[in-house]
Amino acid sequence: MPDLSLVVNGEPRSLEVEGRTLLVHALRDGLGLTGAHVGCDTSQCGACTVLVDGRAVKSCTVLALQAEGTEITTIEGLAQDDGQHPLQRAFVEHHGLQCGFCTPGMILTAHDLLSREPDPDDETIRRSLRGNYCRCTGYQTVVDSVRAAAAELAR
Amino acid sequence: MSQIGTARPRIDAPDKVTGATRFAGDGHVLGLLHARLLLSTEAHARIRGIDRDAALAAPGVVAVLVAADLPLESAGGDRTSEPLAREEIVFAGQPVAMVVAESAATAEDALELVSIDTEPLDAIVDVEHAMSPGAALARTATDDEAGDDLESIHAGVDKGGADEEEELSGNVLDTITRQEGDTAAAFESSDAVVEGTFRTPWVYQAYIEPQVATAWLEPSGTLVVSTSTQGSFVTRNALARAFGLQLDRVRVVAEPLGGAFGGKFALMEPLVAGATLALERPVRLSLTRTEDFQATNPASAQVTHLKVGARKDGTLTGIEARMIVDRGSNAGWGVEGITSLLVAGPYRWEARDLRGYGVQTNRFTFGAYRAPGAPTAAFAVESLLDELARKLDLDPFELRLKNAVVEGDIGVSGNPFPTIGTVQVLERLREHPLWAQRDSLPENEGIGLAAGYWPGGNEPASAVCRVDPDGTLTVVTSAVDMSGVSTGFVTIAAEAFGVSPDDVRVVTADTLTGPYAGASGGSKVTYTVGTAVLRAAEAARQKLLLAASEELEISPDDLEVVDGEVRAVGAPDRSISVEQIARNTLRFGGRNEPIEGHGGSAQIVGAPSVAAHLSHVRVDPETGEVELLRHVVAQDVGRALNPALVEGQMRGGATQGIGWALYEELAHDEDGRLVTGSFLTYAIPVAEQVPEIDTLIVEVPAPDGPYGAKGIGEAPVVAAPAAVANAVRAAAGVRMHELPMTAPRIWAALSSSAGEEA
Amino acid sequence: MIPATLDYHRATSLEDAFEALAEPDARALAGGQSLLPMLKLRVARPSLLVDIGGLGLDAIELTGDELRIGALATWGALASAIELDSPGLAAVAECAAGIGDLQVRNRGTVGGSLAHADPASDLPAVVLALDARLELRSPDGERSVAAADFFRMPYTTALEERELIVAVVVPVPPSGSGSAYVSVEHPASGYALAGAAALVRSDATTSVAITGVGGRAVLLPEGGSLDGVEMYGDRFAPEEYKRHLATVVVGRALERATQRVEGAR
Repeated sequence: MPDLSLVVNGEPRSLEVEGRTLLVHALRDGLGLTGAHVGCDTSQCGACTVLVDGRAVKSCTVLALQAEGTEITTIEGLAQDDGQHPLQRAFVEHHGLQCGFCTPGMILTAHDLLSREPDPDDETIRRSLRGNYCRCTGYQTVVDSVRAAAAELAR
Repeated sequence: MSQIGTARPRIDAPDKVTGATRFAGDGHVLGLLHARLLLSTEAHARIRGIDRDAALAAPGVVAVLVAADLPLESAGGDRTSEPLAREEIVFAGQPVAMVVAESAATAEDALELVSIDTEPLDAIVDVEHAMSPGAALARTATDDEAGDDLESIHAGVDKGGADEEEELSGNVLDTITRQEGDTAAAFESSDAVVEGTFRTPWVYQAYIEPQVATAWLEPSGTLVVSTSTQGSFVTRNALARAFGLQLDRVRVVAEPLGGAFGGKFALMEPLVAGATLALERPVRLSLTRTEDFQATNPASAQVTHLKVGARKDGTLTGIEARMIVDRGSNAGWGVEGITSLLVAGPYRWEARDLRGYGVQTNRFTFGAYRAPGAPTAAFAVESLLDELARKLDLDPFELRLKNAVVEGDIGVSGNPFPTIGTVQVLERLREHPLWAQRDSLPENEGIGLAAGYWPGGNEPASAVCRVDPDGTLTVVTSAVDMSGVSTGFVTIAAEAFGVSPDDVRVVTADTLTGPYAGASGGSKVTYTVGTAVLRAAEAARQKLLLAASEELEISPDDLEVVDGEVRAVGAPDRSISVEQIARNTLRFGGRNEPIEGHGGSAQIVGAPSVAAHLSHVRVDPETGEVELLRHVVAQDVGRALNPALVEGQMRGGATQGIGWALYEELAHDEDGRLVTGSFLTYAIPVAEQVPEIDTLIVEVPAPDGPYGAKGIGEAPVVAAPAAVANAVRAAAGVRMHELPMTAPRIWAALSSSAGEEA
Repeated sequence: MIPATLDYHRATSLEDAFEALAEPDARALAGGQSLLPMLKLRVARPSLLVDIGGLGLDAIELTGDELRIGALATWGALASAIELDSPGLAAVAECAAGIGDLQVRNRGTVGGSLAHADPASDLPAVVLALDARLELRSPDGERSVAAADFFRMPYTTALEERELIVAVVVPVPPSGSGSAYVSVEHPASGYALAGAAALVRSDATTSVAITGVGGRAVLLPEGGSLDGVEMYGDRFAPEEYKRHLATVVVGRALERATQRVEGAR
């Protein structure tokens, strides 16, 4: 089986994968990083979103081997130390989640957005979450959380 | 300072935002095997044979199980006692075989090597045709055991007497009749009578976490099932019955739930339990989304023929309903009872003739979805109330307020309504500035109003409250946290005991270790389990005061618990911390009982919740697209223990209602095969499509609820689709009789009408 | 959910890619946002995937009177490319910004999408209206195909065996032009129920193309008439609705393109 070498949450990792292994399965089953969730099989729901070289990507729609040599950030690695990233803090404080299954993906997509657009309006936030389905919240507190995180990051 | 009414984050939020939460598919089990289901592609067929040889020969495949391989005791046509089709396939998507292999990939590869040989039977797909005498039966074998337990979980509803006068086919499994007064005379005396036929499709709960369960055998022989479920005890009971096991031989552990909304009851567990019992190895079944679309249990399609009348002063006179519920292949229960009750809405009527029919077809197994049977009923009655208001030139709020039920009014079931906030909710909503704009909107915009309610449910419940030597409280229940109830328990326990909520944790126990709680569903957990938690905290508090009174040498009646300290009333310097008392108690030779309490509840009175909506839409007349500009929901919650949780339910329910209204439909072709079986064709609302939703919390305390709170999870979806439909009527001049109101349908309605009044 | 077994090869050069693609049932993999979903549902089962994503063909360059879009340019890069910030080229960025979602736009490529030729994809209408050409490379050499000759049938293009798109070349519309892309999306998939790209030149001549309504995107005759354009409907959107929607998006695209012309004056 081919070897895959990549950096995950700041650590160099290597593991054996098949040609067909999806990145989400390599992360979940190979590395025990179960924060990326599988919610669909048509590449739509976004529950599997991770950052690849800083960009939000649906890890179910990337072969693990395509990620060779890249830097991956999963939800487990978002906070710099053992604390919380401002996005994580904001989602907690502004009630941006209920069941939490979509939440890691939401947060990482928001991270990508804020890294490029530090002060997005609500319409932009909602549009950027097109690829992240939530069934619980109705999205408003998700938008509130992203806005609050943007404000904190700007300080 | 009171904790009630403070918005606090969910206690499980920190773990969820860091990915630390282990959902049911996340845990590692040594020696785990992976299962995949072979689903029928035919809607109705007899199984002649299943060819497993090629699959069994594939490396890494451990077994290919069919119905006969599962050690089931009871026969029956429900998904618990027949998790794999035995002889007759009754819907396309029905699981027929289960491949079990060393890896998920191997199982998926092997699935392609299994084939089923069948003899096709007539697929009954149209529910109205299915009812008519002489129609072929959707299920030729009769079932013994019905799923009565499942119906009772979802709502406390009295089904009324059945009337056998109509000639109907054997596909009609249940007929509900609720007659009171003379509707013909009522319509005669009316100044306006309107009628219509309203159709709603099969709708999918679309929880973002697909269904998943894992089973294994402990060395002692106990069957353990770790699962994403709404109810551990109800699942345990179902498994014990299905496999003929003693209750204490089955342990069900409910893992954190990635959404369920009514759909996660005993579908996966019988499959993994059967596989584990047959193979004596751990097995996990984790559905793909494609499988979840086909093989789980979405909400019934319905056809409602409705006629309502009123006098010109707005008094509602008669209501006549024929509600045909497509149960699909669910022989056990259906929503014909609930829906024929709720079509009367939270209103008084002078006469009623309401009939519900539960009809089997060769479509999905019907399952519950957030307020089952309610959104469909509200869509019909609230649309027609809108029309009555137009005909009589009455304000839509006035029409509803004039007939709004209040406590003591006798409902359709013949029982008096308990405390209910219909009037308060409508009056509060009417004050919202959006309503004032309704006559001064730009072209193609409109605002719609609709109201509905959910009766709530009752079930006995227990809880335990334990104080640890660090002075913190641990609340133990077996209630699955679907809507944030555990966070609500924190507020209740902290308030009742007298400590900070930061010092309270909630543990969800399993069927081996936990005090009893029914399933989470039916809008009853806060009301029932919350009350048990309150009593458990009070009982623990009594123990605390006894122990403290010894230490302080003050009578317990003169002591109070404030901010983690027991103090003398009026002399706060004479105090001792909860932590100190706990430490003194829990030691060898300690002189007082552990500071723990047990609480139980068994409410008899229900706690219905009313929710009313305003929807502001813009319709694009060229494309038929509906843009939602704003939404308002007002709901009677009894008492908002934690406003953030309550608002979350209100917005979440309203958004699911928006999906019902505009986007969601599980469609079958004429052979009964699902044609909208993925998120490519089945649209759930995304952030761009959902407007800002204002929430108006109305508090009409429920006398038997904890601090007046009641279950509120389902009411906010009920009237949301109707509000959008009424807004479309206001904006575009067309009355839509079918959900979802897709762009092509609205355009077709605009094209065929001249915009005239319905 | 899990693709059928396959081998994976990361191409180090075009020549290396062509050699690998010689294997039977080998397919080129770019961003994977169209191909991988097919593999996961097992409707496609290549025995070998040749990953061309690292070949660096992703530059977006405005040179004189041509816009060159490297085949591996992502939608995200295209949507924010300042090279497209002109009324005449506005349709390109406008189209790219509306494709899929943020995650898909980070990975999906222009070349991958055009080669996939989903009849409801958006960019074909834009490249037709702007009279673009596709630069192709194969082991036999290079050739250039006009967009008008590229799209044949659903999922079928003019690409030959082992032929890859390396660039999309769009002639810069004459000064004083305006272009636009307008689509009505299916609420679930986001694909075009009907999408129209319009170029309005300063001499008031127009070029309009439509996508999403039939088996492939088509360029309409001058004037934008939809007569004779083959369309089909489905359960969600009957043919009658599609036909009507086509006229609506054509009208809106022309209107927006015209506004851009006027805005530029």
